Amino acid sequence: MKFGIFHELATPRPFTAENESKVLFNALEQVRLADELGFDTVWAVEHHFLEGYSHSSAPELFLTACAMQTKQIRVGHGAVVCVREMNHPIRVAERAATLDLLSGGRLEFGTARSSTWTELGGFEADPDRTKQDWDEFVRAIPGMWTQERFSWKGSCFSMPERAVLPKPMQKPHPPMWVTVTSPGTELDAAERGLGCLGVATASLSEQERRTKEYHRRIQLCEPAGQVVNDQVATLNFMHCHEDLATGAKRGMGFLGLFGALNAQLLFTREAYPTTAYQSLGGISAPAASKGGGNPGAAYGVPDGVCIGDPKTIIEAIKRWESVGVDQLNFLVNACEVLPQEQVLESMRLFAREVMPAFARGKTRREPVLQSGAALGAGGRA
Amino acid sequence: MLSGTADPKRFEKEAPTIPVFTEASLELSDCVFLQALCEIEAEPMCAMLPPALHPTLPPVASWSAFEAADSDWGRFRLAQLRIECRSGLRPRGLLVGAVVDSAQAAKALAERFGFRCIVGEVELARAYDSTHLRVARGGRCLVELVLREPVRLGDSDTQFVSSLHAAHTPRGFRLVQVDTEYAVKRAERGRLEIVAFDAAAWGEETIRPTFALPGVVGRVDLSIRPIRFVCRPDILAFQGTESVLPEDGTR
Repeated sequence: MKFGIFHELATPRPFTAENESKVLFNALEQVRLADELGFDTVWAVEHHFLEGYSHSSAPELFLTACAMQTKQIRVGHGAVVCVREMNHPIRVAERAATLDLLSGGRLEFGTARSSTWTELGGFEADPDRTKQDWDEFVRAIPGMWTQERFSWKGSCFSMPERAVLPKPMQKPHPPMWVTVTSPGTELDAAERGLGCLGVATASLSEQERRTKEYHRRIQLCEPAGQVVNDQVATLNFMHCHEDLATGAKRGMGFLGLFGALNAQLLFTREAYPTTAYQSLGGISAPAASKGGGNPGAAYGVPDGVCIGDPKTIIEAIKRWESVGVDQLNFLVNACEVLPQEQVLESMRLFAREVMPAFARGKTRREPVLQSGAALGAGGRA
Repeated sequence: MLSGTADPKRFEKEAPTIPVFTEASLELSDCVFLQALCEIEAEPMCAMLPPALHPTLPPVASWSAFEAADSDWGRFRLAQLRIECRSGLRPRGLLVGAVVDSAQAAKALAERFGFRCIVGEVELARAYDSTHLRVARGGRCLVELVLREPVRLGDSDTQFVSSLHAAHTPRGFRLVQVDTEYAVKRAERGRLEIVAFDAAAWGEETIRPTFALPGVVGRVDLSIRPIRFVCRPDILAFQGTESVLPEDGTR
């Protein structure tokens, strides 16, 4: 089992330079501590326009700062939005390779297509096309990283032969992931040999079903890149305290706020009728489906959430482990609702009492050699 | 987190009265329906909602209309305007106002479900390549919309969200949650064109459309369910929601 911390950079109002800076620098302090404590990965999302919920609109800059202040922890671009109106694939490949070099080969490269109309609408992106764009990005970018000169002719973008530089440090290229919000995206990940980066809080039983199918399908994958990443990661919330009640109270404080901020976003399915977004999505979607339609329904600590004392958290993680999850990525605060010292102390206690209960690390599958054609050499029909 | 700042008393004026919570659904089969959303100016978004509710980001208003071929009051058409919002974690739409072309239906919908209705003209006309909605009262156009260039959708590709109606109820003045089930028989997405919109005539003059979203037209069976929850408008829905279900759990 691997452990990561996951940054959305949720920010309290008013959105002053002081508050924005505080969130960024507190997050960096958490990352430095996570590195010292042996956490495996720090992830940062890419979001735009999500007031309060996530101000992580330039994750490559935040992650560069993380890389320059740490030694061991891997830096997870989790995830780059692979939609033509929001990022150009060449710029994505260049930035990611530079980050891989600056971090000394510690990049984990996540990909996504955005689930909110708040974001897609802001860029006037077409929700009907986002999956098509994402698919083209994930097939083209590995070629940009591995071929001396690269060309592409596709429906989302085209380019004549050019040297996309620099090349990443990791060979053949950094591990690739796709964020999974909607049910079924795990199958898209499996078919392309991509890691499954869960970013919505699926239930244990739902995660077990998805993981089983993912592992079955990935055996038959046609990798988009030159290396298969067959890991399953999922998002969780973590607050660890010696006293169960204190841990639960503090943890639910930031979890509840984060869920409420998430619920305010306008999800694509709600705003834009389309066949391309089959679920409402969002962190709070599972909670909103409970309670029989009652907006006042009270929720305790949700099943499998890593909030409480070390014993409770170990039990929760063992359940995730039993359903095939390789990595848990933790949100540790939201909008600075918990004082920074409480967050750091929780991380220290987690490292001291919880981490030793789990075997760490996992060997990635060996690189799968691909023909040049599969990576887009000479253009794509 | 942003919440509504409007004085709840504002919604009491002209709010209908539900004398008793009905235990029967209203079934309306094979209705022509239209739903269209539009982003609206953000500045007044909190001032349009009572403290119980939260705005969406970005704020959105929705128009919807249906034509019921048959009912206890005969054939009638209803058009409504809502502000999309959140009640706790849940997506909801706060009813601004409704126009019904049958006085009998308007009275019944107000008493059973708290629709703030006025009687007016509702025209819902489908053509091969467009659908037109025009709502008017006494010669004054409240809204005129056109959905163009229809594209077929699957039956489950449209999101429908429950409504909140401000009404005087046996529990006092409340936001009444009105759940409508949509069994979609056919749905098409169309590009929305807002020909005319008179926000003041609907009762919320600060709604200013900024960005039209695609709309949906089609045929549905509608079932407006008995009321299950009401909410105090002056405190957050997390604290202010009350169940009105019978204690034996029926309905």
